[in-house]
Amino acid sequence: MKVLIICTEKLPVPAIRGGAIQTYIDGALPVLKQQHDITVLSRSDADLPDSEIRDGIRYARVEGGLLEPYRENIVEFLKSSPVQYDLIHIFNRPRLVSAVRELAPDAKIVLSMHNDMFKAEKIAREEGAAAVRNVDKIITISNYIGKTIRDLFPESAPKLQTIYSGVDLERFAPSYSSQAKEMRDRLRNEHNLSSKKVILFAGRLSPNKGIDVLVRAIPELAKKHDDIALVIMGSKWFSDNAVTDYIAYVRALAERLPISVVLTGFVSPDKIQEWFAASDIFVCTSQWQEPLARVHYEAMAAALPIVTTDRGGNKEVIEPYKNGVIVEKPEDTGEFVKHISYLLSNPELGAQMGRYGRSLAEKYYSWDRVVQDISSVWDQVEHAEEYTAEPVLEANKESYLTPEETFAEVANTIEDVIKLQPADELQLPANEESSLNTKHIVADVYNMPENEELESADELQVSANDEVQSESKREKDLNRLKDICLLLLLYYLQEKRRI
Amino acid sequence: MIDQIIEPWEEDGTLEELYVPEYIKNIGLEVAKYYDFTVEKMTVMAIKPEKGGAIWKIDTDKGPFSLKLLHRRPSHSKFSLGAQEYLVHDQKSRVPAIIPTRDGEKYVEKGGKLWFVADWIETLYQLPQDLEGTKKLCNALGEFHNLTKGYVPPADADIVSRLHRWPRTYERMEKKMNWFRDIATAYSEMPASAVILSVIDMFQRQAQEAINSLENSPYYEIVSRGTKDAGLVHQDYGWSNAQMAEDGVWIIDLDGVAYDITIRDLRKLIVQCMHTNGQWDIHWIREMVQAYHEANPISDEEFEMLLIDLSLPNLFYKNVKYMVYSPATFLNEELEKEVQFIIKLEEQKWSVLEELAQDRKGGTTE
Repeated sequence: MKVLIICTEKLPVPAIRGGAIQTYIDGALPVLKQQHDITVLSRSDADLPDSEIRDGIRYARVEGGLLEPYRENIVEFLKSSPVQYDLIHIFNRPRLVSAVRELAPDAKIVLSMHNDMFKAEKIAREEGAAAVRNVDKIITISNYIGKTIRDLFPESAPKLQTIYSGVDLERFAPSYSSQAKEMRDRLRNEHNLSSKKVILFAGRLSPNKGIDVLVRAIPELAKKHDDIALVIMGSKWFSDNAVTDYIAYVRALAERLPISVVLTGFVSPDKIQEWFAASDIFVCTSQWQEPLARVHYEAMAAALPIVTTDRGGNKEVIEPYKNGVIVEKPEDTGEFVKHISYLLSNPELGAQMGRYGRSLAEKYYSWDRVVQDISSVWDQVEHAEEYTAEPVLEANKESYLTPEETFAEVANTIEDVIKLQPADELQLPANEESSLNTKHIVADVYNMPENEELESADELQVSANDEVQSESKREKDLNRLKDICLLLLLYYLQEKRRI
Repeated sequence: MIDQIIEPWEEDGTLEELYVPEYIKNIGLEVAKYYDFTVEKMTVMAIKPEKGGAIWKIDTDKGPFSLKLLHRRPSHSKFSLGAQEYLVHDQKSRVPAIIPTRDGEKYVEKGGKLWFVADWIETLYQLPQDLEGTKKLCNALGEFHNLTKGYVPPADADIVSRLHRWPRTYERMEKKMNWFRDIATAYSEMPASAVILSVIDMFQRQAQEAINSLENSPYYEIVSRGTKDAGLVHQDYGWSNAQMAEDGVWIIDLDGVAYDITIRDLRKLIVQCMHTNGQWDIHWIREMVQAYHEANPISDEEFEMLLIDLSLPNLFYKNVKYMVYSPATFLNEELEKEVQFIIKLEEQKWSVLEELAQDRKGGTTE
């Protein structure tokens, strides 16, 4: 097939400036190109030509930065392109879909969703609905992301498919391997950690990622375990070592901890596996509803036991007490103390969890598997029926729900709006393993996406004088209410017709 | 040729006071070539090294001008430049006119940033800090807010709005009280820690109450009206950015303008005055409000927003927030004294706010 991959306006491919999505695409291309004729369209960059053929892949680059001009440039590119693409795979930008569909009415369009770009403040409702209508398939990186889309656009359900991301199983060597030992010993010696049990955090240093909670949990942990050390790997933003007030706060607390703390600052992507190899326990402290942080795969590959939070898609890759533990109340330092202490006191159990995590990574989270999944989605879409030229009718078809379905839909929406109770208040008090499953089902049902903060860079500045417009919670609620009214009306009409 | 991208620069004690890296100066000279004048002298007047911004006074064969490198991203700067243009041309406001390039453009984009040239107003002098001077400042602020209404930014500009930010700003202040508590606890041996810890719960409670008040205020009603009738806040308004000339008060440095409930600028000014005067003085506030009101009538709902915004522990927050950077030096005796002073000062605030609230019971101030 002739395939066009359209990247985001932010960073170029190949990933010479980093970026999760760009790295993901880089990882998948070598295999995909074997069966397909691939063009990759991304933003231009001073260090890359606007057009080149590299390793059998055609790269085209147009001016990016902001979405609107980037979209215009894509339109120009498609208009002037002599090639008819069979399939167009767009990454994480539903706002590009309709413009692309207009110029490629016969192509199959696949959209990959890496985060919440379908949310009300990021895309207008009609534009989002049009994007859903105009694609043949939506790949999401977690069930959680799929659910956020389905909640907003129920008609997207048949098009959604989760494809979990992957990890380089070679580079992230399991802690028990000789390759890991070499990296481990070297780093530990360099930082005087030889006799320590090392707790690792890896991620952006922001309130959403919540490293402060772990830092605040340390004094209590250190009382019971005097041989621990903390490694905080990451920076404000990708490759940005600027100090925000939040980072300053974390650093100020870290400086007073009774244990060794290593603040690595920005670590380049090709070096991060070394810190995974050097550590004993991996902790993710995310406070926000995050899509599913890549670090979980990396920790599994490195055979580290994982302590993570019940937020967004993170727990989807955790089998409780088999490859990791889930913190139900991410803001509660006490819960971190409890779980980390448990792993520190039972090192054999931790090692066992790490080994099991590695086996999961080998089975489910290799790049080969990711590429295979993408490849089969492409094949499946290619052989699916032609794209229907009457999308509106198709959408109508979707809405012929049975009264029961309509009711369920309405009930769900109402539940979303009033957010009955946050998940953590519904947890059962018991902590026996037998009750874990029930708990998680409860959490699944009620753990609606919270109104998590946009992590714009300026948010973290001290003199918050730059502000970007965002939609208020109330406007969102109003939109939801409108949805309810529409559904009720629909139900009423259906009932009326029956009578 | 690809432009060198302008980045923030380090401030370094060994460098001159208003240091700007050489490559930025050179870009500035390049920028000047787009204009219909010849630069004879270029003097740095102010810098924002941590963000990458600077202002020069340029003496040219056509007279003095200001040349400004805006540190914000270009699409943001286009919003503020559009506003400045609107104020000068449509509203005949006393803000410096933007000098067009030879091609009639309002700015030059170079080094990934926007640059622009504006009139240099030589005759400006600062208003006195007494009540009369303050009233003039307030009146000019009201006039400014009034004239900013109706601004529609150009299509290629960001829509810069703080309208929806109030809840988050309040919540952030409340949340950061936790940070301050954590740090003062971890650095308990520092002189200012004890006094901060003795009042942090109280100030956090005040922030929580302000959040509640905001929740139950006309705020959501106001912001739901959108940007169409909203004015622009200056965000950095005071004695240095509003100065007197023969024909009245001129307002400069408009780069931070944003759609907002504009009374926030007045709130900042009131807090600043009370701090400088060392007391919450209801007479002084009423005079400020009245002077503002004469130029830009304050509706009852805006007045309520003003009172809510004043109820935040603004002074405490503003004075302790930098502790996160280097608590081991910042939490010193000087801060201890300052916090003690603020505690005393803020005790007077509540009766003043209650009295002010009475001013609008059953009618307007007139």
